Amino acid sequence: MADAPVAADVPGADRAGARLAVAERLTLAPYERVGGLRAAGRYVLLVVIATVVLLPIYTTVVGAFKPRNRVLHNMLVPGYFTLDTFRDAWTQGNLGRYLLNSLIVATVATAGQLITALFSAYAFAYLDFPARRVMFAVFLATLLVPAEATYVVNRRTVDGLGWLNSYQGLIVPTLATAFGTFLMRQVLLSLPRDLRDAARIDGVGHVGFLRHVAVPLVRPTLGALGLFGFLGTWNAYLWPRLITTDDEMNTVQAGLADLRAQGLDSPNLVMAGTVIAALPIVVILLLFQKQLIRGLTAGAVKG
Amino acid sequence: MTTQTTTAVRGGVFAVAALVAAGCASGDSILNAGNDGTRPPTPRTTAAPGAVGPGTTLSLTGRAVPTTIDLTGAAPSPAAATMPLAATTIPLGGPSGPSGFAGAAGSARPLPATAPVGYAPCPVSALDERDPAAGPVRITFWHTMTNVLEESLVALTDAYNASQDRVVVELSNQNGYEQVIDTYFQSGHADRPHLVQMPDYMVQQMADANTVVPIGACIQTENYDISALLPRALLQYQTGGVQWSMPFNVSNPVLYYNRVMFEEAGLDPDDPPLTLEELREFSEALVDSGAATFGWAVDTGIDSGGGWFLEQWFARAGLPYSDNGNGRGARSTEVLFNVPEAVDMLGFVQEMVLDGLAVNVGDNPGAQDVLLKLADPEQPAAMGITTSAGLGTVMTVLDGGLIPGLTSDDIGIGPMPGPTDTPSAIVGGASLYIVRDKGDAESAAAWDYIKYLISAESQSEWAATTGYVPVNVDAVELDPLAATYAADPRFRVAYDQVLAGADDFASVGPVLGPMREIRSVTAQMMAHIYDGTAVEDALAAATEQANLLIIDYANRN
Amino acid sequence: MLAPSAAVLGAFVVYPMVNAVWLGHQRCDSQGANCRSNGWDQYVDVARSNEFRQALFTTIKFAAITVPIGLALGIALAALADKYLRGIGIFRAIFSSTVATSVAVSALMWYFLLHPSVGVLSNIGWLQELFPVIKTPGLLQDSGTALASVAVSSIWAGLGFTFILITAGLQGIPKELHEAAVVDGAGGTVRFLRITLPLLGPTLIFVVVVLTTRAFQVYGEIDLLTQGGPRPYNSTTTLTYLTYGQSSVIRGNDGLQAAVAVLLFAVLLVLSAAQLLVGGRRVHYG
Repeated sequence: MADAPVAADVPGADRAGARLAVAERLTLAPYERVGGLRAAGRYVLLVVIATVVLLPIYTTVVGAFKPRNRVLHNMLVPGYFTLDTFRDAWTQGNLGRYLLNSLIVATVATAGQLITALFSAYAFAYLDFPARRVMFAVFLATLLVPAEATYVVNRRTVDGLGWLNSYQGLIVPTLATAFGTFLMRQVLLSLPRDLRDAARIDGVGHVGFLRHVAVPLVRPTLGALGLFGFLGTWNAYLWPRLITTDDEMNTVQAGLADLRAQGLDSPNLVMAGTVIAALPIVVILLLFQKQLIRGLTAGAVKG
Repeated sequence: MTTQTTTAVRGGVFAVAALVAAGCASGDSILNAGNDGTRPPTPRTTAAPGAVGPGTTLSLTGRAVPTTIDLTGAAPSPAAATMPLAATTIPLGGPSGPSGFAGAAGSARPLPATAPVGYAPCPVSALDERDPAAGPVRITFWHTMTNVLEESLVALTDAYNASQDRVVVELSNQNGYEQVIDTYFQSGHADRPHLVQMPDYMVQQMADANTVVPIGACIQTENYDISALLPRALLQYQTGGVQWSMPFNVSNPVLYYNRVMFEEAGLDPDDPPLTLEELREFSEALVDSGAATFGWAVDTGIDSGGGWFLEQWFARAGLPYSDNGNGRGARSTEVLFNVPEAVDMLGFVQEMVLDGLAVNVGDNPGAQDVLLKLADPEQPAAMGITTSAGLGTVMTVLDGGLIPGLTSDDIGIGPMPGPTDTPSAIVGGASLYIVRDKGDAESAAAWDYIKYLISAESQSEWAATTGYVPVNVDAVELDPLAATYAADPRFRVAYDQVLAGADDFASVGPVLGPMREIRSVTAQMMAHIYDGTAVEDALAAATEQANLLIIDYANRN
Repeated sequence: MLAPSAAVLGAFVVYPMVNAVWLGHQRCDSQGANCRSNGWDQYVDVARSNEFRQALFTTIKFAAITVPIGLALGIALAALADKYLRGIGIFRAIFSSTVATSVAVSALMWYFLLHPSVGVLSNIGWLQELFPVIKTPGLLQDSGTALASVAVSSIWAGLGFTFILITAGLQGIPKELHEAAVVDGAGGTVRFLRITLPLLGPTLIFVVVVLTTRAFQVYGEIDLLTQGGPRPYNSTTTLTYLTYGQSSVIRGNDGLQAAVAVLLFAVLLVLSAAQLLVGGRRVHYG
């Protein structure tokens, strides 16, 4: 959505700014103005499509608030509002524990991914070492490897290390991505070269440079990468399914599958579980909209 | 990218594409990949050494293990090592060598280096000998019970932990049979629990993996009195003369039917159908009178209509499912379900589906779709066969009002209909395995806990709450089970069904290594049959695929 | 500095592929141990086997459904919501909302819609009469509709992502171009085809790449909705499900799983190369 310029330091600027934005928008070019019948037609289309898009979310949310003996009546009509199902999903369905597991895994994995991406990006951007071209090619090659193809052996490796049903098993294999490395390398390369030289003259080491100089400057990209790393780890389904079976170690996605398998006698419970599982991401995405869009477009629009 | 890289990538890509696309379809199964030599041979007619013919009765003398088993952990005596490798092998790989499979046809493959040397002994006295000052022994128990079942297990375990101070059992819910199998087999031995619950079809695999202490060793060492335990339940978990595990939660398929619809159709709601012919008659009455859209709901689930029920029907008819005494005398080498009786049975069911008297609800992954079809508001079926393990849940759910217009009183429970008019069923569910080499005190503690779980009091509680069949017959006379059976005879049906039936190999059901995969094959076959494929063709294809699975399993394990 | 990334990537990306290639010509026992060689022709046989080829075709079919439709829907919705109308922000938010769902969440939401007995769609009277398959045997249980139903769930889940991306792309097109075209007398459709689409090129290619990769790697929806597809034709067993699925015939068979995984890698390699060659210089990683 277009950002309208807002003078933030003027008191009451928000409303003035909004008015400004509206005023700006109202000066549409003739071909942009959509009036009368065409507008109505568009609205109808928009509403129809929006209904279809919202239908699954709507039924799940509506069902989640219904008690068990009402969930199969009139599934499209909300009524019989109760929060008991959520409480049951939390306790009986163990969703609290699942959310905690997902949170731990996703947070640690994301932090790890950012650090490893920064380090290796720094190495590729600033350091010169003998195997550089080879390593770069290797990193490039790993982009082509689909994660699913590695799970057969990774499961054996993780089992050999005794990491089945553990946080390490869930986190460690995801700690580095070539995509992160390349993204950060691109960003670091776009920084002025003298920054690094100046820092070196000042006696700042690799890590120090990253911490004090680079990170503040590349924060937006770092934020986008972090958001995507978090989302990716949070939403991962196959890997957690493969290596965790213990109910106490399930992540939220794997836990949902178990909930569904056990819970068809209480569909509202499964629906409530689904809503609870989706909520954190909704909140995060609402908070980090900008990073989301920046991250999505980073790969696309750059020519 | 540089031009060299691009060219290299292009070259590699086309080579790979050539590999995948250029080879014409072989029309062969993935299980045969890499195998040289001919397709599976025709079935052997001579019995393998150690094989037991059909009709042989297993004798239960109160000792579940032949006395020739050496319990000191040394090499097993020849008579006890009745688990010969498949005598017929498809030569795998190229020329024989120390690391490969044997190349010469007909020769047995060399044993892997880690061949089991002996059955693990059961250190039953370790718990008594332990110094009480060392504190209680903590053991972990991997189980798969959920919902009501889990609550009951937790209650039993808490009571056990509170009643004594030598053992503390920690429960770990693995959420399902599939999951516990995968995790158990993938884990290193150090990560395995002290006690694990495995489903009924895992007997052969658990035996082959030799990672457990046979329960028979514990029974024999302690001279434990098993006369109160259900013989058929014990038999289910015996193979090669060894009692491998203790049955814990026993279930079998029963008929769920809608009493209201029966009355509407003019049928007696207290007299459910028992044979397949009666099933058809009742369905015709139900459909013709308009009481129900379909008489009977069938499914193609692995653990229900597609796999398990087939074994049930074979056992009921006294037909062996696989050779070598249904896999109980020696390892099976082939399946035997391509017989005229099966053609008749399955053809009969196929006709019912094609005539619209029965409806196929699909793969039924959660074992709930058959029941949901009974509760379907628009096009219901009047009858359905599902595991008795769901009984407690179904009653609770219906009483909670989940399905509008249907209460738990409307549901009748009858014995599973089948090819004969005497009700009988083979034991399903899961059993408890003590994991070996986890410490003597721990194994003894696990054994102590098992004895508690199968005691009459515990089984009475367990069966009354969950609807499982009590493993201990004395439990039937104790409350709360006695009261439940008296108040609601529907809970007895599964129990009575298990008591009936002969005790020979055929009636006890098969034991096969790749049982799960074979059930998948038969489920596939049932789906084809319900789709209209000729029964003989479907049976033949399934037999071939199942034999492939058996041979593959035997060659790998 | 390079060590952490290199170590993780080496251990969990490079090593698995190399080991998988080696493992793929072996057969192991139920515990994954005692692996013995079965000859390198195991790869050829797997590639030629019925199950593999069927899974490959299913995967290609799935991609052929989800990618074009997902792309078209994304473009259509983005174009629809691109005009200034009152409240357009709400619609934009709705169309973007599915980006917040994970595979498990979206699959479950569709499960509640599609189930033949307790699903919403099966309890709408007029819909049932129009399409009896919804009820008997059910969209997910009928061999003909199962894959399409899973595809719908996947398209829906990817809609938000596609919409956001294309909207951003649309807003990146300078207004002057459109104004100039209007001055020249070009109508809406012409402008769309001649200006918008070409300039959206990089974005669209990126979307296609992501959607295709996702389609070839689909697993969660299948595991939750159909478990490999209604028998007997297993219409939703894709390559990933053949490797890891619970209903797969090679479950527990480590050697064969590795072989299929390596072949999956090979297939995706072909796909990526094709995309690179087609996309040319428009998308590269630096």
